Amino acid sequence: MIHPKLDDKNVTAFIPGTIIDVKVKKGQEVKQGDVLVILDAMKMHNRLIAPSAGKVKEVNVKPGDRVSKGALLVSIE
Amino acid sequence: MPLKNKIEELKKRKEEVLQGGGEQAVAKQVAMGKLTARERIIALLDEDSFNEYDMFVEHDARDFGMDGKVLHGDGVIIGTGTIFGAPVAIYAQDFTVAGGSLGSMHARKITKIMDYALRMRIPLIGINDSGGARIQEGVNSLAGYGEIFWRNTLSSGIIPQISVILGPCAGGAVYSPALTDFVFVVDKISKMFITGPEVIKSVLGEEISQEDLGGAKVHAQITGNAHFYAESEYECFEQIKKLITYIPWNNTRKARRFEPKEPKVNFNIEDIVPGDPKESYDVRDVIRAIADDSDFFEIQEKWAANIVIGFGRLNGETVGFVANQPLVMAGVLDVDSSDKAARFVRYCNAFNIPLVTLVDLPGYLPGIDQEHAGVIRHGAKLLYAYSEATVPKMTVILRKAYGGGYIAMSSRHLRADFVFAWPSAEIAVMGPEGAANIIFRKEIAEAPDPEAMRRQKVEEYKEKFANPYVAAAKGYIDTVIEPSETRKLLLHALEVSSTKVADRPFKKHGIPPF
Repeated sequence: MIHPKLDDKNVTAFIPGTIIDVKVKKGQEVKQGDVLVILDAMKMHNRLIAPSAGKVKEVNVKPGDRVSKGALLVSIE
Repeated sequence: MPLKNKIEELKKRKEEVLQGGGEQAVAKQVAMGKLTARERIIALLDEDSFNEYDMFVEHDARDFGMDGKVLHGDGVIIGTGTIFGAPVAIYAQDFTVAGGSLGSMHARKITKIMDYALRMRIPLIGINDSGGARIQEGVNSLAGYGEIFWRNTLSSGIIPQISVILGPCAGGAVYSPALTDFVFVVDKISKMFITGPEVIKSVLGEEISQEDLGGAKVHAQITGNAHFYAESEYECFEQIKKLITYIPWNNTRKARRFEPKEPKVNFNIEDIVPGDPKESYDVRDVIRAIADDSDFFEIQEKWAANIVIGFGRLNGETVGFVANQPLVMAGVLDVDSSDKAARFVRYCNAFNIPLVTLVDLPGYLPGIDQEHAGVIRHGAKLLYAYSEATVPKMTVILRKAYGGGYIAMSSRHLRADFVFAWPSAEIAVMGPEGAANIIFRKEIAEAPDPEAMRRQKVEEYKEKFANPYVAAAKGYIDTVIEPSETRKLLLHALEVSSTKVADRPFKKHGIPPF
C-alpha cells in the first residue's frame, strides 16, 4: 500500500472543511500543480493542487460540501 | 635497494589498493547506477585537493576464513580535502570491497578521521554505502558502530557533520547519519532502514520493497530523516557544495561572508501576500524578495512543507529562515513541522547563524491524531529551541499570528531581538470567529437573530483585535512596517546585533522535549 504522502494520484482533505470551489471536471487533463479544489479550513482558502499530471478520474465533491478529514476529493489517472 | 626502486614499490602498492574490490565488483557497482567511492570523493572535493590516509590498513579478522583474505583499505577511504577552499574531512565506504561491510579496522579508519575533524575543527562528510556489520568480525563490528556514534555525539554542535547515503545503510549503521546534522539522499540509490524487508516479512508477514520501505523519497517526504533529496549523485554533490558555502567550519566561527547582492526585481514584496487573510501564497517568494540575490537554499523541502526552513544571506551574511507556509495545510504547526523547525533553530544557534522568522499561521493543527501523536511535546520543541537560542533573532509578522502559534514563532516573549509587523498582521489570542463565539456567547444566544449577532460580534472583534496595533501598544512588537521596508530593517537589525550578549545561567545541558 502506498503511503498517503507519496500518493500522487489521490487528493484528500488534510482537515475537515467546506469545499468552496471545484476547478476541474471528470476527464479533464491537468498539469502537476494545477489547482483542483479550494477547501475552506483553518481560516484559509486552501488550494489543493494536482500532485501529478494526468486525466481527472473522479471528482467527488461540489461547492458547499462539508468534507471530513481524509475524504477523497479528486483522483487522477 | 635503491630509493628509486622503493618508490616504484610504493607506486605498485598504491596501484593495487586503488583497484578497490577489483574489476568485477566495480562493474557491479556501475551496473547499480552508482559511482565508486573514489569517484565520489573526487567529484565532491575541489580538484586535486584530496589526500588519502590509511590506504594500507588491513583487517585483523582471523575467524571464518578471513585470515589471509585481502580487503583493500578494509572497505573505506578516508582523507582530507577542500570544497570551495573550505577544509573538510571525509570518509567514503567502498561497496566494492566486501560490500563496504564494517569491521573493526574499517571502523577505526572512520573514527580516526572523525577524531581528526574534531581536533582540527573542520566539517566532516561521511559517504555511506555499506551492507552493514561484517558478520565474521562479530562483536568487534558492533564496537565499531558504537565508537562512531559516540564521536558523532561528541562532535555535534562543534563541527558540521554531513551524511551522504549512496547505497544501503541498514541496521545499526543508520544511527550515525541520524546523529549528524544533514542527511543527503539520492533517488533509487539510497536505502535506509533499521530492519529490512526480509526481516519484516519473516517477523510480521508484511511484504514491501526496499525502495518503498526506506528509499530516498520515503526519507525525504514521509520520515523526515533526510534533509536533501537529489535525482543523481552529481546533483547531490552540488547540493553538498552549496551547503558548505552557507555554514561555518565550526562553532567558534561565522559562516563565510559573501559579496552582498540586492534581491532580484521580479520578487516584489508588495505583490506576494494577498490582502485577504484567507488567500494563500508561497512564503518562499517573500524570502526571495528579502534575501541577497533572491537566493534561498531550502532544507527538507518535501517533508512537513507547512513550515519552510533554509539558508539565505542578508548583506552577505548567512541567516536561517523559518517561515510558515500558507500554501500547505494553511501553514499550521503540527507534530512534524514543529520538530522540523525546532531542530533547524538549534542548528543555527549552535553555528552562530542569525535567525529570521516569518510568521503567518492559523495556529496548531487540531485533531485527535495530532493530540495522540504527541503534539504537546513536539510543539514544545519549538518553544524550547527559540527560547534557548542566543543568536540574533529577527521576527516579521506578515499576517496571522494567533494563540500558541504567535508565541511559538519567535515572539518577543521567547526573546526575539526584533519583532516587526506588517500592517496586515493580526496578532490576537485566537481568530475572530472563535473568539467572538466565546466572549459573546450569551449575547449571541439571547439575540432575536443569533446568526446576525454572531456576525456583528465577529466583525467587532476583527475591527478591534485583528491588527498589529494592540500588540504594538504593549511593546510586544517593536514597530509596524511597510512590507517594502522589510529587507532594510532586517539588514539594520543584523548590523546592530552582531555584538549581542545573551548570557544564560550555567547548566550542564537542558532537558528539551526530545
